[in-house]
Amino acid sequence: MIELKRLLLVEDDPKDVELTLEALSEYNLANEVVVTRDGEEALDYLHRKGKFQPVPHGNPAAILLDLKLPKINGLEVLGRIRTDEKLKMIPVIVLTSSRQEEDLQKCYQLGVNGYVVKPVDFHEFINAVKELGVFWALINEPPPGSIAKVKAHK
Amino acid sequence: MKDQCLRISQATSTTIDTEDYTKAMLNILEDFSEEKARLEETQRAMLNLLEDFDVERSKTEAANRELLERTAQLEAANKELESFSYSVSHDLRAPLRHIAGFALLLQKKGGSILDEQTLHYLNTISESAKQMGILIDDLLAFSRIGRSEVKKSRINLGYLVKGVLEDFREETKDRDIAWEVGEFPEVSCDGSMLRLVFVNLISNAVKFTRPRSKADIEIGCIPKKDEFIFFVRDNGVGFDPKYQDKLFGVFQRLHRQDEFEGTGIGLANVRRLIHRHGGRTWADGEIGKGATFYFSLPR
Repeated sequence: MIELKRLLLVEDDPKDVELTLEALSEYNLANEVVVTRDGEEALDYLHRKGKFQPVPHGNPAAILLDLKLPKINGLEVLGRIRTDEKLKMIPVIVLTSSRQEEDLQKCYQLGVNGYVVKPVDFHEFINAVKELGVFWALINEPPPGSIAKVKAHK
Repeated sequence: MKDQCLRISQATSTTIDTEDYTKAMLNILEDFSEEKARLEETQRAMLNLLEDFDVERSKTEAANRELLERTAQLEAANKELESFSYSVSHDLRAPLRHIAGFALLLQKKGGSILDEQTLHYLNTISESAKQMGILIDDLLAFSRIGRSEVKKSRINLGYLVKGVLEDFREETKDRDIAWEVGEFPEVSCDGSMLRLVFVNLISNAVKFTRPRSKADIEIGCIPKKDEFIFFVRDNGVGFDPKYQDKLFGVFQRLHRQDEFEGTGIGLANVRRLIHRHGGRTWADGEIGKGATFYFSLPR
């Protein structure tokens, strides 16, 4: 028995969602991943607005955030999380294709907890996502107020 | 004028000679008209100058306006280039990752029922996607070199070259390479850029001497009156001099991928880095007899 914490994946590209979940499923980490497909949906989920009203209280243990998102982009989502009293402690890891210095700088200025460039090579991509999943869903102790831990079989 | 005045005062102080006096006065008048003509001429010249000046000024103003317009155009072009390289780095990488990713998933899930030929196709798809990823990264790095600011300071190139060689130690530990490193001056340059130049040239020398049982690599400097000339010489496979101009082009390669790996961006980066320092790059070599790559830096 291991304790699994909930992760929020914010990713608009269905192929990237599939690949990411595929990578996480290798360690049985995929079950506790919530997927939102744009910045607005991610913020709605975090605020339990609209269709996310029935979602139980508590923040995800960590957010895997893409930068290039429809409606509200990743940088803006990160900015809003960091200025929201209830959300600002959630660890946010940017998972993006961009290695532009400008993006890196802005993300760290906004207080990102990690910045991972999606490797083109799928082996590397799987490894990167797996390691992220293992660290944030298993190893790291999330801030108080994160969603109740879920028991899961390994 | 002064002489005339003196003569008048001499004339008045002594006995007045009317004839002399008249003569003196006429002389003065003559001098006056000459002086006036000279003044008028100067005035005309001044007016001409002013006119020329006005013409020059309006020309300068026009040139300034043009320069401002050009600057605005350049800034716009730069912005466009930036957003272009942004989408290259972001949008082009995503489909590549998908190609490589799903090819691998297919390989993993269908591996047992796929024959060797089919697995080879899948492998080729993954490899090509990876190669394109490298090309994109290289292209972006190349465009960054062109845009980033040259931060000059006094750099001891001797230390810099020593540091670079230190980095090659691990990579070359199983090779027999005789390094010959000359004396280097202190020059005003961007240290990290010059480091990249030496890394590129030395890694080429290491790469293209691989078929040699004993490699000779010489790194040196020739001081000249207005500039320093640096070189990296090797006894490697060399190149055909008729392709000399192609060497420094973007993604230009003179060898097949299975002979020597690489995308062909290294020397293009070297050229760009050196041009940004106001220097030149060139090379000479011969097939099978090694190559020497040179670059200059102004003093």
